[in-house]
Amino acid sequence: MRSVTIRIGVIGTGFAGSTHARASIGLSGARLTAIAAATIAEAEPLATELGVRVAPDAAALSASEDVDLVVVASPTYLHAEHVIAAAKAGKHVFCEKPIARTLEDARAMVRACDDAGVRLAIGHVVRFFPEYRRAKELLDAGALGRAAVATLTRGTLPVGAARAWYLDPAKSGGVVLDLMLHDLDVLRWWFGEPARVYGKRLAGGGAVDYALATLRYLDRPIVQLEASWAEHAGFRTTFEIRGDRGMLAHDSRAVAPFVVQSPAGDANAGVIPAPTLRETPYRRQLRDLTERLARGEPPLVDGREGSRSLGLGLAVIESAERGEVVPWMVPA
Amino acid sequence: MDGAGVRRLRVGLVSWAHVHAPGLARTLAALPQVDFIGSFDETGTAHEGLTHASVEALLKESEAIVIASTNAAHRRYALAAAAAGVHVLCEKPLATTVADARAMLDACREAGVQLGVALPVRSSPAMVALKDAIESGRLGAVRAVRATNPGQYPGRWFGDRHEAGGGAVMDHTVHVADALRWLLADEVVRVHAELGSFLYGLPVEDCGLLTLDLNGGAFASIDCSWSRPQTYPTWGGVTMHVVGERGTVDVDVFRQSLTHYDDAAGVTKLVGWGDDLNALMVGGFVDAIIAGRPVPISGEDGLRSLEVVVAAYRSAELRRPVAIAEVA
Repeated sequence: MRSVTIRIGVIGTGFAGSTHARASIGLSGARLTAIAAATIAEAEPLATELGVRVAPDAAALSASEDVDLVVVASPTYLHAEHVIAAAKAGKHVFCEKPIARTLEDARAMVRACDDAGVRLAIGHVVRFFPEYRRAKELLDAGALGRAAVATLTRGTLPVGAARAWYLDPAKSGGVVLDLMLHDLDVLRWWFGEPARVYGKRLAGGGAVDYALATLRYLDRPIVQLEASWAEHAGFRTTFEIRGDRGMLAHDSRAVAPFVVQSPAGDANAGVIPAPTLRETPYRRQLRDLTERLARGEPPLVDGREGSRSLGLGLAVIESAERGEVVPWMVPA
Repeated sequence: MDGAGVRRLRVGLVSWAHVHAPGLARTLAALPQVDFIGSFDETGTAHEGLTHASVEALLKESEAIVIASTNAAHRRYALAAAAAGVHVLCEKPLATTVADARAMLDACREAGVQLGVALPVRSSPAMVALKDAIESGRLGAVRAVRATNPGQYPGRWFGDRHEAGGGAVMDHTVHVADALRWLLADEVVRVHAELGSFLYGLPVEDCGLLTLDLNGGAFASIDCSWSRPQTYPTWGGVTMHVVGERGTVDVDVFRQSLTHYDDAAGVTKLVGWGDDLNALMVGGFVDAIIAGRPVPISGEDGLRSLEVVVAAYRSAELRRPVAIAEVA
């Protein structure tokens, strides 16, 4: 078999962009070639660190000859513009989650990639976290019997000035589309589509944002979700699944295999600390995608799948705003 | 000190039907300010301390009774106590219907006796610390709470709709609902619930997720499910994750425990070493009666938390949030 090298360009140098760019280094069958950000100055430090060139802007990066896959890790409200431009330039696209801020944008992105005959992958990276994968294996093997009630929580520090666009719900969707979206996607992956949603969210948005949601599947399970930008002690995820034959429980604070303490403080208490694994979930995600592209296969989470998870997040927001239960209908 | 001159309250225990009855009996026997005069059990089953053949005989000797019967029988015993001029500490929930609870409140008020509800969570030092943190203002306004009160299925009559009045929601909701009202000095105004009978084949729900709106704008969720497996190392627990404008608090009421890996029994279990919440709760009730003060958790409080339960059942039936005003 002839080996194919997928050449990667990254748009965005925030948490997601720098994580994906670093994850691509040393990946067999893939090579990082260019980085773009809102300004050249914002792209330069990461490009220098990783020894690749700076593209003047997103459009120039997508038009580059030496790019086969564009990683879109710009702010959520710019995803549509950047993904559609990449598709029109004939590039495959990996887009950070949420796919977009609105379903209209998401539909236009999916259509543009279909029309151009390129692949669109959405970065629902939690599907590559081994604790969530192992839980799915156990669920699928029937180890818990039928799932009855589940709780998933995800929290991190309040949004700082470096991520100021997150504070505008019209641009980011707040804590629901940032954090809860991960667990909504996990639920769809584990259990399929729920029947209805009831959401609660702090009014006004802002740096401290917090939301709860209750999801009901047609028969079972019932599910409690929590998403928090008020976890002042740092990033934490938990889940618990009770089935009629047993229960699974996870708490990220209880499973750190490597903890440093020093007079300088706890290095693990960041916004999103790196998991202690030989290969990070971000790298597994990128490796999985580049291998699939090389084989001509569709991505694990494509644009339609990402749109459905976005739709569920928007249903939580709608329920919280209206104060009513919202039926979940899978977007066409 | 020989305790001479210390006023002791004569207290009787009515019924051993509730799983909490043995613990309450031990507490009554141990409290220095209680003269535990004995108990009555309608089933006639022999129990240590079972000394009275009828409720009337027990009431005749008691200044106060603790009711640990089935939920549906609370009204009958509370009314008998009121008629005999005896104060009442009633197991939670206060009753299975708002009408029963109101009848109990009315009877006790007219008889001039006090009605209290056995809700030990407020007595937890961790909850008191949370209350202090909220009142000091250092958390800012509390905006949201995710609370859990899951447990193992208690068995007995707890899955019987008539005796218990419901399932996990009736059994567990009131602990957290009452604690929230007390912590936030606020009232629940709206309730949403999703319920299911998924685990034990019961005619009542064994899983429940509730969402509450409080009058001041905060919201809270309660997981009241009988979801702890048989292999779980303890009966269940009570937790709160509290989000304030300036701080977030985690409370785990029963976290103080040793882990006991017991080869002889083939189990791993948690052995709690925290304060005895029953002793604090019953002691607080008895002290108030002796001092002639209002009891810490009143029948009115019991009614308020029962209304949350009733609204939860209505919400699950109607598949929409239900205002407390619709069920009060």
